Amino acid sequence: MGVPSWGELFRLRYWLRVWPWIFLVGVFSLVRFSKGAGFSDAYAFLSRPFWPGSAQGEWVQKGIQIEHLARINLLEQDNKRLREMLSLQRSSGREFLSAAVISRTVQGWWHQLVLAKGERHGIDRGNPVMGPGGLIGLIESVTPTTSRVRLLTSPGSRVGVWAPRTKRHGILIGIGTNRPQLQFLDKDSKAIPGDLVSTSPASTLLPPNVPIGIIQSVDTEALPAPEAVVQLTAAPEAIDWVQVQMN
Amino acid sequence: MGAGANELIVRLTKRGICAFSGLIVPWLTFAAPTWLSLSSIGPCWAVLWLLPWALEEGQFSAVIAGLCLGLVLDGISLDGTSQIPILMALGFWWGHFGKRGGQIERSLNLGLLAWIGTAAFGLSLWIQIVIMQPQGDLTYAWGLKTLLSQSIITSLLAPMVCSWLLLFWRKSNLS
Repeated sequence: MGVPSWGELFRLRYWLRVWPWIFLVGVFSLVRFSKGAGFSDAYAFLSRPFWPGSAQGEWVQKGIQIEHLARINLLEQDNKRLREMLSLQRSSGREFLSAAVISRTVQGWWHQLVLAKGERHGIDRGNPVMGPGGLIGLIESVTPTTSRVRLLTSPGSRVGVWAPRTKRHGILIGIGTNRPQLQFLDKDSKAIPGDLVSTSPASTLLPPNVPIGIIQSVDTEALPAPEAVVQLTAAPEAIDWVQVQMN
Repeated sequence: MGAGANELIVRLTKRGICAFSGLIVPWLTFAAPTWLSLSSIGPCWAVLWLLPWALEEGQFSAVIAGLCLGLVLDGISLDGTSQIPILMALGFWWGHFGKRGGQIERSLNLGLLAWIGTAAFGLSLWIQIVIMQPQGDLTYAWGLKTLLSQSIITSLLAPMVCSWLLLFWRKSNLS
């Protein structure tokens, strides 16, 4: 097939000749709108022999212990506060699903993980994903056997967070760097470097009191409210297994 | 089945491996080998495949290839940005160069074209991110670092990968 002149594009005969190309583009459009379903699933199937094994088990356990200690502290404070308020009763019967990380892009234009479990295992869009150390992101899209995680560092990631020491809310915004930006909602944030950042104890979208990171620096001059740079406690570049919280 | 379809089938049969090589792009994007990266940022695999394809196949085929590749890569990437416009534009541009034959296929030329193409690719994504999710200075620093690292690693690999693909495809077409 030679290179057509652009005038030819408007002739009916030409369209009859190029219908296979249109068909081809249609097929790839289906791939696009299914969020790469065939590709992700085929990749998951063929890369199965190379999925991470249990070698990281001990390391993961240590990380989980540290995370649990931080969570216990937060939960104790939270319980005390709730008893005082005599309100906000939340169920603790949540289910977690372990999933292997089969593709990882933690630098570059997209910060994402692909997990080896998907819709068939009950994972749904918006489910929180946790690694040893705390929250690492949310499920962005799912295919039958895989799911894609938008990391907290990814541009476009916005998660409501809570500073337990100062009891202030904020929004953690991914800006592409390893350390996301925390925008406080109050002008008087009282935050200092070293403060823990976690999910809100009253959150309905995310599991409450899950550690997210440590404030590294605070810009009190920022407008309209102070901003902080947060060092995440979970490191996505070193995690081979994650836990997905089911609905 | 029309003449166009027959022509396409013959063409795809003849170039089965060539078409198959395009599927490696999303696979390499998934695998993202960490040992092949600069400052933790890997090369732009789409550019490394599309450049020789456009030089070999010409404008029309390269635009279609850019569209198909963009659709797949958009499907396997996070929402918010699209790679389709820039890949189609690069296919159009490189396909035009393809007419000039050997002059363009020297290693240095391939590296330079890949560098410009990857920089344009990165710039396109960066602009989309800045427009849709405006952030502060740190976003600009990250964008610049990503753009420079990706364009450098891609241009370093291009003379090897693109030359090999061009030779391989030409051998396939001759046999």
